[in-house]
Amino acid sequence: MIKLINNSRKLIARVALATAVCGISTGALAASGKLVIVTSFPSDLTKVFKAEFEKQNPDVKLEILKKKTTAGIKYIQETSKNNKTDMFWASAPDAFEVLKDDGLLQKYSTKVTGIPPKIGSFPIHDPDGYYTGFAAAGYGIMWNQRYLKAKKLPAPAEWSDLEKPVYFNHVGMSAPSRSGTTHLTVETILQNNGWDKGWASMKRMAGNFKSVTERSFGVPDGVNSGNFGIGIVIDFFGLSSKGAGFPVDFVYPSATALVPANIGVVSKAPNSEAAQEFIEFLLSVKGQTLLLNPKIRRLPVNPAIYSQAPKGFPNPFTDKELQGTLKFDLKLSKNRYNLVNSLFDVMITYRKDDLTDATRAIHTLERKLAKKPNPKAGKLLDEAKALIARLPITEAEANNPELASVFTKKRKKATDKVTGRQAEIEAKWDTFVVNNYSKARKLAAKAQDML
Amino acid sequence: MTSNSTTRKSFLRLPDFSATQWGPGTVATLIAIFLLVVLILPVAKVIFVAFQEPSTGAFTINNFIDFFNASLFRESFINSFYVSAMSVVFATLIALPLAYFTTRFNFAGATLIQTFGIIPLIMPPFVGAVAMQLFFGENGSVNLLMDEWFGFTIPFMEGLNGVILVQSVHFFPFILINLSASLQNIDRSMEESALNLGSSGMRLFRRIVFPLSMPGYVAGASLVFLKVFDDLGTPLLLNVNNMLAPQAYLRISSVGISDPIGYVISVILVAFSLFSLWVSFLALKNKDYATTQKGGGGLLKRDLKKWEKVSCYSVILLILCFVMAPHAALFLLSIATVWSFSPLPDAYTLSHYTEVFDTAGDFISNTLLYAGLAGLIDVLLGTAIAYIVWRTGIWGRKALDFLAMGAVAIPGVVLGIGYLRMFYHMEVPFSDIPLASFWGIIVIALAVRRLPYALRACMAALAQVAVSLEEAAESLGATKTRTIRKIVIPLMSGGILAGFVTSFATAAVELSATIMLVSSEADAPLAYGIYVFMQSAAGRGPGAALGIIAVLIVGVGTYLSHRVIERSKRHRGES
Amino acid sequence: MSTQKNCKGIKIENVGLKFGKTEVLKGVNLEIQPGEFFAFLGPSGSGKSTLLRAIAGFGPTPSGNILIGDQEVTHLPPWKRNVGMVFQSYALWPHMTVRKNIAFGLEERKIPKDQVQQRVDEALELVDLLPLAERRPSELSGGQQQRIALARTVVVEPQVLLLDEPLSNLDANLRVQMRRDILSLQRKLGLTTIFVTHDQEEANTTADRMAVLSEGVIQQIGKPMDLYDSPNNRFVAAFLGSANILDGEIKISDSKPVFISNQGLELSIQHQATGNGSLVFRPQNTRILHNDANQNDMILNGKVIYREFLGSLVRYGVDVKGHLMAVDELHSIGGKHIDEGAEISLGVAMDQTVIVYS
Repeated sequence: MIKLINNSRKLIARVALATAVCGISTGALAASGKLVIVTSFPSDLTKVFKAEFEKQNPDVKLEILKKKTTAGIKYIQETSKNNKTDMFWASAPDAFEVLKDDGLLQKYSTKVTGIPPKIGSFPIHDPDGYYTGFAAAGYGIMWNQRYLKAKKLPAPAEWSDLEKPVYFNHVGMSAPSRSGTTHLTVETILQNNGWDKGWASMKRMAGNFKSVTERSFGVPDGVNSGNFGIGIVIDFFGLSSKGAGFPVDFVYPSATALVPANIGVVSKAPNSEAAQEFIEFLLSVKGQTLLLNPKIRRLPVNPAIYSQAPKGFPNPFTDKELQGTLKFDLKLSKNRYNLVNSLFDVMITYRKDDLTDATRAIHTLERKLAKKPNPKAGKLLDEAKALIARLPITEAEANNPELASVFTKKRKKATDKVTGRQAEIEAKWDTFVVNNYSKARKLAAKAQDML
Repeated sequence: MTSNSTTRKSFLRLPDFSATQWGPGTVATLIAIFLLVVLILPVAKVIFVAFQEPSTGAFTINNFIDFFNASLFRESFINSFYVSAMSVVFATLIALPLAYFTTRFNFAGATLIQTFGIIPLIMPPFVGAVAMQLFFGENGSVNLLMDEWFGFTIPFMEGLNGVILVQSVHFFPFILINLSASLQNIDRSMEESALNLGSSGMRLFRRIVFPLSMPGYVAGASLVFLKVFDDLGTPLLLNVNNMLAPQAYLRISSVGISDPIGYVISVILVAFSLFSLWVSFLALKNKDYATTQKGGGGLLKRDLKKWEKVSCYSVILLILCFVMAPHAALFLLSIATVWSFSPLPDAYTLSHYTEVFDTAGDFISNTLLYAGLAGLIDVLLGTAIAYIVWRTGIWGRKALDFLAMGAVAIPGVVLGIGYLRMFYHMEVPFSDIPLASFWGIIVIALAVRRLPYALRACMAALAQVAVSLEEAAESLGATKTRTIRKIVIPLMSGGILAGFVTSFATAAVELSATIMLVSSEADAPLAYGIYVFMQSAAGRGPGAALGIIAVLIVGVGTYLSHRVIERSKRHRGES
Repeated sequence: MSTQKNCKGIKIENVGLKFGKTEVLKGVNLEIQPGEFFAFLGPSGSGKSTLLRAIAGFGPTPSGNILIGDQEVTHLPPWKRNVGMVFQSYALWPHMTVRKNIAFGLEERKIPKDQVQQRVDEALELVDLLPLAERRPSELSGGQQQRIALARTVVVEPQVLLLDEPLSNLDANLRVQMRRDILSLQRKLGLTTIFVTHDQEEANTTADRMAVLSEGVIQQIGKPMDLYDSPNNRFVAAFLGSANILDGEIKISDSKPVFISNQGLELSIQHQATGNGSLVFRPQNTRILHNDANQNDMILNGKVIYREFLGSLVRYGVDVKGHLMAVDELHSIGGKHIDEGAEISLGVAMDQTVIVYS
């Protein structure tokens, strides 16, 4: 679609290109020294790095452009014809993969040494050299201590804890389609539990959701204010909230994937020299140490830095729980990126109320069954649970690139043909899911009547 | 002179096309071109996608068929409609007593009450819903206390309820402003003749006063309906996704996805908004009562008895407390150290204000510059369009009016994306900066978004300037231009100022289009600064502090201009 | 304040005007002499205000020609016509003081400041309102506003003065006073003046000549008394003052002219013409016959339907064969009056009747 609009504007684009060339030549002479970075990171983080970098490089002025990861990608895509952005700086490797695929990043390899090739099972830098990891982050669970105390809830420790009925209506999570890092969590769960079991577990958790937030920061925000008690968040949200004085705590479940947060130079960057300088700075000892700032709290990728870390600060290179036996197939994740997001939205985000109703009925039934067992009702319970877990597509279908392409619609050539429309497919899934949720709720209600 | 007039005669024999029409004609053409470039084309660029077959690029309406086939979208549509309608109901409940008491009775502090009644419109994004959650959320102050004292809670903020609550508190001033204005315009003879015929009390209100104020009410209510229908910030912040505007936004802004359905939803949003605008026009047709008459003295105002006064003030105070709650919560948040799962913050500090002090300077000056320029552009356009519509016979003048009003039906995101598409490939003359990243584009976007408010105010102001006042000046030798400058504009000044304030105040806190267009933090306005702060745990306090600063700036500006308007009215002996 | 030097006549040649499909003015021809006080009289909707506004340059451009003096102004914008207009609503600008209002036209003409000051003072003195110079219009009474509006207009020494129902917003006593003031001002300045009104008393008392308009057409032009005494047509006869009008036909019977009304009333008359027409006579020329009739009297027999006491007069409504006739009798102290229901005879002198053709 973007292509089409571009086509219709070829002439203007050409003129723009011509002027851009002139612009670059004059720009080089003027040596503006402006470095424009589009980032999803909060100002608490960028502020610190900006100040230090500008101190070290007085000629360079950093322009930080705060955008949500998804909006940042959109922005770089929409403006690529007349690019003014030097760097993209964000957490989720997938986001960089999207830009890489569109040819919107340029290669750069850091000169810094002493950084291991992998953190957990994840390569720290892009093997193709298009983006560079500078900090690690892992997903975990944060909770509001006052909330748990007031509602007399135990503190969760594992992902599976969040499936328990006791946490019904107390959990918050962001939608993977809205947050690149959340997507990683969902993928991690899917890849390690398997497609069917992974989704089943995800949905049991989702049955306890109070909110599916639009922004990834919505989750720590909700926990901090006590709007809901427990959130599935990336570590620095939990750690920095704690650092800001909120009565919250954070834990890594035993199965967590550590993923690097990244930075990459945008292709045709107006000031790629300064951009490369910034990457070197991020990976330098000084830059890595800044990550320990209580308002930032990200895990440095240089193992040497941890000697300066405060007590209790997690160290992914030595802590057992973070050693991570988890595998993560980045290619698989990338291929079904949009499909998984869309499936999550259709089954959970947009149908949260239906899922909540069904889950409530099942929880009630389970409680009653525990007091007064009844094999017939127990069978209905299993049926209802299975109905909720049912998926509109199999793993094989999900991994089929043809179906996945419906969700990208990036025709490389005019002759490429895509069958089916996303909205059409989503509508089918939606009907399937809504029917199953409502059947499950009715089955559970029926079983309750038997008791 | 004689020869002059004969040549004139031979050249300009065409009736209705006298020299006097040339100036306005040029201005009208220029405005039409401006609106074409900054409104029609950008929007067209976005909705164009909705009619494209995603795989081939051919024209299709399949995307619309998909929309109506999907139960999720049908449900979203119904939800949006329900929320909008209910918001109108609640907004009416809030606005009606305020408007009625302050216009119908001699009331100390009426100006102050009216100003307070407008402040909710100036709720900076993000912080408003956060603040409401802190007060009214399931675990907010009110419910925590209720749970402790009575053992139950009220789900004010659950799902659609929350959206309705926040929206009606946020947008009721539209009804308040319009209803108050039309109440004030009811001639006292209308009410007196009803009294004379034996009608009084509630019957008088129901049968005479309310029907006569209908045009103002419908205008305000339709604006509330529209704004709620198009608004996406509030539902998103409350995590309500099953409404049309959030669906459009979520789908348009998702990574890598180029599904046209988001654009389809945008088209439907725009179309439905235009439709409801049209319905409200129909409802008002032939009801535009000219109620001000010669020797009229405005609405019959009467003094209140003591107990009446007490009860009126308590009702007003109660309502004001309620609608000011978000601001109160915001203020508390801005001076709170930690506020988490408790009725009130743990402790208080001023450090957030000192923290934003360094950064806020740029944000504030940018906001004042952008919103000020946008307001200025709006009143210039508004005055010009109002004049063209009311005072000239130019072909297509009604269309110009509708076009400018139509901007009210364009969601901010659609306009923002359209601007990126339209202006990113154009460059600022004599530089290599793309036009879209030039701060002036933010100003234009703000101006276009707020033009309908200013236009309505200017229209109303001009409608109250008798044509004979202009004719008198012309027959005394003043040309059209001079007459506009020396008579029309001074007489419209109150309305123009009101239009400027509305545009300025709402532009100062607008985010949805701005966020797409800000291309460097140095160029960012306050709303963007708040957004950035509100993305980190430690930024909540400073973000709230910035929000309070924004409210203060706009609030003080509004109050001052109210005073100016009142004074100029008194000068003219109109009050 | 100078007099007469600016004074111009007005010539209106075949002027027509349409609002959409409705013709508001149809082929109007009129000539007004320099210095004349001229009135446009007619019911509302007759086109009198439209004609006035066309002379001032407001509203759509009419067909035909309008000349002020020798200058063709049909296509000139209002501000180039140098025509002074006083509006029905006075149109005083509420945001300016009285002084500013009056100075406006002079400032538009780029008159030096000191002269402006002087001429404004003169104009204010002319209307006797100098002490109110610094007030705002909303602080003035209706009559004062009217005089300020006049002062504002005459201060620029217009070629002609146009008054659009200037007295309609004043109460009755003030109206009489104001119309005398306007007339004396007009005489003093010698301004060619057009006065639009629907009130014939206003027109009669002030105008040198007047034009009666109906449905966009000038029905008759002339001196007020001439129009009253010799109306051209039934409309003018009915519109000016009270009139008894009998519609019918004139025939020659026994070589004497006879008027036969539509109701069958037969009257012998002096007029010689024949055909359809209306017989018109005024209530005050109709007498109740207590004794014998005069030789030249038409005699009408009828019954008194009503009696109205009008102060100087007593008016009887008399039914004559289905025609309701008005008869006026002077009232004097102790005068005897006829009761309702009484059968009486009426006499009208033949030379007091007019025949009009519609």
